[in-house]
Amino acid sequence: MAYSELIKNFEKVRSYMRDFYIFGFRSREEFGRKSPRSYDDERRRIEGYLQEYMGFHQTDAGKNVFISVDSRNGRGNPFYRALKTCSFTSGDITLHFIIFDILSSADEKMTVSQLADIIYEDYLSHFEAPVLYDISTVRKKLDEYVKLGLINKEKKGREVFYSRCPDTDLTGWDDALEFFSETAPCGVVGSYIMDAENAAGSRFAFKHHYITQALDSEILYSLFEAMHEKAEVTVSTYRRDSNEENLCLVVPLRIYISVGNGRQYLMCYNKNYRCFDSFRLDHIKAVRAGEVSDEFDELRERLREIGPNIWGVVCNRDHHLEHVEFVIRASEKEAFIVERLEREKRSGEVEALGGGLYRFSADVFDTYEMVPWIRTFICRIVELDFSNSMVESQFRSDIEAMYELYDIPGGEE
Amino acid sequence: MLFNEIYGVYYSTVARILEAAVDGELTEDSLNKTVADNAFPESVLYMLPSLTDSEWQLLDEKLHTPLKNHPSMPLTLLEKRWLKAISMDPRFRLFGVRYEWDEDVEPMFTEEDYLVFDKYSNGDPFDDKIYIRNFRSIMTAITRKVPIRLAYKSRHNKRMVITALPEKLEYSEKDDKFRMLGRGKYGSVMLNLGRIRSVTFCDGLEPMAASAERRKDYLELELVNRRNALDRVMMHFAHFEKEAERIDKYRYRIRIFYDKDDETELVIRVLSFGPFIRVTGPDDLVVLIRKRLEMQKICGLK
Repeated sequence: MAYSELIKNFEKVRSYMRDFYIFGFRSREEFGRKSPRSYDDERRRIEGYLQEYMGFHQTDAGKNVFISVDSRNGRGNPFYRALKTCSFTSGDITLHFIIFDILSSADEKMTVSQLADIIYEDYLSHFEAPVLYDISTVRKKLDEYVKLGLINKEKKGREVFYSRCPDTDLTGWDDALEFFSETAPCGVVGSYIMDAENAAGSRFAFKHHYITQALDSEILYSLFEAMHEKAEVTVSTYRRDSNEENLCLVVPLRIYISVGNGRQYLMCYNKNYRCFDSFRLDHIKAVRAGEVSDEFDELRERLREIGPNIWGVVCNRDHHLEHVEFVIRASEKEAFIVERLEREKRSGEVEALGGGLYRFSADVFDTYEMVPWIRTFICRIVELDFSNSMVESQFRSDIEAMYELYDIPGGEE
Repeated sequence: MLFNEIYGVYYSTVARILEAAVDGELTEDSLNKTVADNAFPESVLYMLPSLTDSEWQLLDEKLHTPLKNHPSMPLTLLEKRWLKAISMDPRFRLFGVRYEWDEDVEPMFTEEDYLVFDKYSNGDPFDDKIYIRNFRSIMTAITRKVPIRLAYKSRHNKRMVITALPEKLEYSEKDDKFRMLGRGKYGSVMLNLGRIRSVTFCDGLEPMAASAERRKDYLELELVNRRNALDRVMMHFAHFEKEAERIDKYRYRIRIFYDKDDETELVIRVLSFGPFIRVTGPDDLVVLIRKRLEMQKICGLK
């Protein structure tokens, strides 16, 4: 098939983009699961969408393509461009502009045959070799737009009339659109609206901004839709570097988003294993909606109840809770450290022990999820007490390994 | 569906071209320029022939169009549902607009549907009247490019009056806070919005210092890919400009470019990965990490 910069399905380009952006050190040969031709086509497309952000390394293993973006520059999420590449036919684009030209105000109401006549007489006949679109093609396009909410369909007697949905005045919305298109879930929709409104954002900048979430917008939207319908879904997941695909029937309950590492998770009830479970959105390939779940409300409530004991996303482990305690020291002049504990803890308690010592304690499903956060207090941790002794001993040996890594002699004194 | 051609770059570019054609202002040059400015680099190869050879019957060879109106399209249901959803966000009230169409439209999502589970708990007071008033005044000043005088309470509770030309509002998703970025009399200013007590517009333009470039530095680290460290590190630092290369089967070298002002935060973030990453440069950063480890050693961890 001839190369085209537009695509029918976003999934393929999504996985390449993630590789180029998150990793960016793989050569063409290392994308083994795909054919070299497929690699070349996808790389060429992505270069087109994100040219100014792409770079190359020449290594012994070959040429490595990477995407590098300083998301703090605040020129809008560049990945949104890739979501604006859906392919279409000549008929799609021709009919699109002509239909909305005819139905230029919400007062114009026409039957499909009236529209088909005008399309030919007032528009296509203008060309030397007019293309003919029969009534069923025009009807199909109109019905597609009815579903999208662009066109109203109204039955009067035996006739069906089509009219344009009323326009929306978005005067004054520029700032809100710019802000939420970067910060709200499915923000690409805000970017679509900004394109249509010719709104150029430049008043905001964003820090700690994980733009890669844009690539999972379609999956996220499908999950919101399923939750809205209280429907079960079959999620198809895949593992990086393998062709293994997994199908799992789940009741989607909530999306958990991390602004600390950019990951998004589906929190759900796994029907196969009869337990709460989580899936990373960037590992989900497709979502297929199924039956409405009678248990949805009850399961969501149960998830809400156990929420305070979920530090990250692990929530099952037979509902066995682990106790975590650690003590740090902070002098009087280091009140900001105690403030850090208070503002960064997601659950648990901070207790002043006196003498500049502060104890944090919590009961969580998985101590391991807390470890990276506890490590951020390295240089002031004086005491550790985890009920999960394996994680505690791992933590201690990791600190020893860090001393070794930086040539700091000896161990804890 | 969220991925649909009506939201695509081709449709929005063609809309701009047709707008010029309806006004009788489309020329070959402006046609080429519109495609180059709005579409993808290779789009000229696909879009131009389709338009000018009348494959898409919207423009003839003389660049005339049978269309009578500027192209326009109502909002789709998907777009309205998204607007309704953001209108329910606590931060939405900062913007002084209201969702006032199709009240029966269901929001695309609500706070029941998602949770940002690790943002800090001391975010800005988005429902505070003074905060909202200051936010809007600063937005106005950014748009109108006028300087403002701010009553500000510093981190050490010191009251200050600062004159500055605001340029942007920076939002941190992790901190859930806004900061005003701008230029003051003596250089760049960066002020927490939550600490601003009042904003007044200045009558005459007082001379402001030139905008200073962000002070950038880099961090070089070596990573050992155990316990899924590669995936975790690359995701974690994804929002920085960075370069990565493989050294051998399990080891990687990564260079991260960051703002010098964020050095302490970066050191903390590096420590969170434990022994899986080792900072190899620059030397002053290695010293900072070593210092923290030496202090930890003195703690005598029980």
